Amino acid sequence: MSDLPPMTSVKRWLVTTNHKDVGILYITTALFFLLLGGAMALLFRVQLWEPGGLGILEPVQFNQAVSTHGLLMVFWFLSPIASGFANYLVPLQIGAKDLAFPRLNALSYWFYLFSGILFVLSFFQGQTYAGGWTLYAPLNVPMYTPAMDATAGNNAAILALTLFVMSITIGSVNFLTTIHRSRAEGLGLWNMPMFTWSWLLTVWMMLFAFAALLAALLLLSIDRLFLTEYFMTDQGSSLLWAHLFWFFGHPEVYIVFFPALGIMFETFQTFTGRRLVGRKWVIIAMVLVAVQSFLVWMHHMFLTTINLEIKTLYMATTIGISLPFDLMVFSLIYTMVKGRVRFTTPFLFSLGALVLFILGGITGVFLGAVVLDYEFRGTYWVVAHFHYVMVSGVTALVAGLYYWWPKITGKMYSEALGKLNFAVYFIGFNMLYFPMFLAWETPRRVFHYGESAQIYHQIATVGAFVLGLSFLIMFFTFAKSWISGPKAPDNPWEYSRTAEWAIPSPPPLENWDGRPSYASGRLEFVDDSPAATDGGVAHGQGNTAEASVEHEAEHADHASIWPFGIGVGMFVFFLGLSGLTPFVANFAEGTAEPPEGLVGFETQPDIMYPVLIALGMAIMGITLFQFGREKFDAPVMNIAERWPFGGIGNTKFGIWVFLASDVIVFGAAIGAYIFMRLHMGWMDWEFDPITMAGLVNTYILLTSSFTVIIALVMAERKNKSGLLGAMGATVLLALAFMGVKAFEYTQKMGDGHYWWYSIEYSIYYVTTGLHALHVILGVLVALFMIYRIISIDAYLEDHRPVEFFGLYWHFVDIVWVLLFPLFYLM
Amino acid sequence: MANLRTYTLIYILLVALATGKFVFFEFNFAYATAIGGTIVLAVTKILLIAGYYQHLIEEPRAISYMMATAVFMVFLLVIAAGYSIQ
Repeated sequence: MSDLPPMTSVKRWLVTTNHKDVGILYITTALFFLLLGGAMALLFRVQLWEPGGLGILEPVQFNQAVSTHGLLMVFWFLSPIASGFANYLVPLQIGAKDLAFPRLNALSYWFYLFSGILFVLSFFQGQTYAGGWTLYAPLNVPMYTPAMDATAGNNAAILALTLFVMSITIGSVNFLTTIHRSRAEGLGLWNMPMFTWSWLLTVWMMLFAFAALLAALLLLSIDRLFLTEYFMTDQGSSLLWAHLFWFFGHPEVYIVFFPALGIMFETFQTFTGRRLVGRKWVIIAMVLVAVQSFLVWMHHMFLTTINLEIKTLYMATTIGISLPFDLMVFSLIYTMVKGRVRFTTPFLFSLGALVLFILGGITGVFLGAVVLDYEFRGTYWVVAHFHYVMVSGVTALVAGLYYWWPKITGKMYSEALGKLNFAVYFIGFNMLYFPMFLAWETPRRVFHYGESAQIYHQIATVGAFVLGLSFLIMFFTFAKSWISGPKAPDNPWEYSRTAEWAIPSPPPLENWDGRPSYASGRLEFVDDSPAATDGGVAHGQGNTAEASVEHEAEHADHASIWPFGIGVGMFVFFLGLSGLTPFVANFAEGTAEPPEGLVGFETQPDIMYPVLIALGMAIMGITLFQFGREKFDAPVMNIAERWPFGGIGNTKFGIWVFLASDVIVFGAAIGAYIFMRLHMGWMDWEFDPITMAGLVNTYILLTSSFTVIIALVMAERKNKSGLLGAMGATVLLALAFMGVKAFEYTQKMGDGHYWWYSIEYSIYYVTTGLHALHVILGVLVALFMIYRIISIDAYLEDHRPVEFFGLYWHFVDIVWVLLFPLFYLM
Repeated sequence: MANLRTYTLIYILLVALATGKFVFFEFNFAYATAIGGTIVLAVTKILLIAGYYQHLIEEPRAISYMMATAVFMVFLLVIAAGYSIQ
């Protein structure tokens, strides 16, 4: 499918893969979740009107409102709206025609949307998740909190988050490939626009941080659906969750804030008419923060039983991470001082964001000190601090909405309404969050507090409604502009500097008439038609060889229905999984070794859920198959800046990036094993492996790696029967591997050692099962490739897909190289 | 890319190294020695597979740095978390 219907057609929005369309979809969907998360906040703010609650919410409803507010805002609003801006603007800012993998881009959006729908549905499946947005163990499993029964709703919320993280991972791979490999000629990394810089660092952080969260969520989902014991043991579980979650969670703060920072940099430059002061140092500071963000996570664990030495170390690293931020703040202030400020609506929001962020940053330093944290942890001081930080980010994102609105819609908005919006927003924000500092002794997550704090909570509740009103004004302003606003010029801002302002508002489907180039030091559009090329068009350094391999598509495609179809399949599948627990619980109760003290798993089985699982798998099977068969020409840039990832194709680079993320997923799962074993005492680990089964499987998997490499050699030699034979042998070996695995599991279960038997067996089944799942996925891909070889003589002219498959398969082999000694020898 | 002969030699080496890990634990080596030896063999195997089967040695060095960063992240998480409970 290649023809893109008009924007007024619903079909357009179901099939589009164009980055600007996907950007609009992300932004509008994120704004919907902002409203939903905001509604939750208003609900519990009303409940907090008086100590003990006003009575509009039952206690467990209050917990649900607080938890879902946090989850919706952090996951379904903040990052996706930034992703929307990035989708729309990053390709424009770097001079690309689209993202590297347009269909994957659409797929990541549909995963995002369906994860949100699943989350909303969780409210209607018994009850939704009520254990707080940090999902702390053991509150995240039903074992110790019967109110957290493993209802389908509770499970659905966790699964929705898992699907959301999968969307983020796909998006990260796509953006990293795009920014590193599709920059216009002459656009070196140093010269990239600041928003693109902030987004590049955001997606690098996302790649590693969200992979750790994905691992944690997979383990949690398996605990809830299959009764394993990762987060149910009385020793070590809560620490394990805290480590995994905050390894993700602290970088997440910067993942959320960096795009906002990028918008602040852009708008400060535009509306002061001055280049950012110390621009190069600001970039270095951002890189430093991105690196340091992975070195501070244990400051969220100062009240746990981790030792004092590591607390002290993390206090130092936490103080350290504030230093690069100081540089950025001073750069923004000095840019204002050196420039001539124009107080437009986007600038007012950006300036407001800076002021609020400074307050949020300073109040956070208190929490970084161990001794002070003992006092402040779990109080409204924390709530006030992180809202000043996170919602200052929202403030800058609103600035971005106003800044790029004319570009995206082609319409100007009313400055008077925009400024009114800012005034109401700023007053509402501070009325809502500042009193929380004064009421800091209020404990988090409950609606009981001292009488003396009541006035502060009442001011905060009024502030919440004022802040909510400001968003209504914002929507009204945009609606009025959309309906009757004057037409926006290409560049409504006098001193804007980035490439998106050099083209019409809104930009055409293909973005550019000519090829954008910065080779001369300024933006030019080069005509690469043969007649013009005859005169000698400048070529990007070192890209000639790639140009011959990656021929430019004459007609780039912008439409495919299959990403939507895969999204539907995943949604149905995950919805089905949410109701699996009662079936597993019934099965477990019927075995010779039922789980002891099973609490919170009393929900009755509903046949609808297994049916949904089967239906979801069927839909995914069909749509993935069609996705694989579809001929789709993504726009390819022959001439581009690709440092430091030149000399490698887009797809291969994308696979390597995905594998880097998978290293973290498996690393976290293996790390969970090592952590729990260390916690228990290394030699006290009671597990009886079938060593010979492990050894045999090692030989089988190594041999399958060898057959895959033979397949590559055969493809290079254009030897069809050899290629078929090698791929077939790989599948057979993989099936043999699974056969041995099945034998092994059967033996274990025959001895009564099910996955709920002990933490040792939980970890054994889950880690080796996760690996086996990778093997199964590899087999499905290999079978598809065999079908393509038989049906269309695939891979004989272009053997790269065989090499790409090999990258994945060898990675699966590498994981087994570690699992064999860990689970069968040690 | 390497030729079939090189791939075959590496395969034989990988099988030998896998057997070596087994030997460490089946014969009377001290537990610490067996763990140490197994780690060395496992790392060697991983480097061989990544370097020659995944052709990492032929790719731009930046790819190796990226993968090394991912591995470093895992070590950071596991070692720091493990130390925190000592």
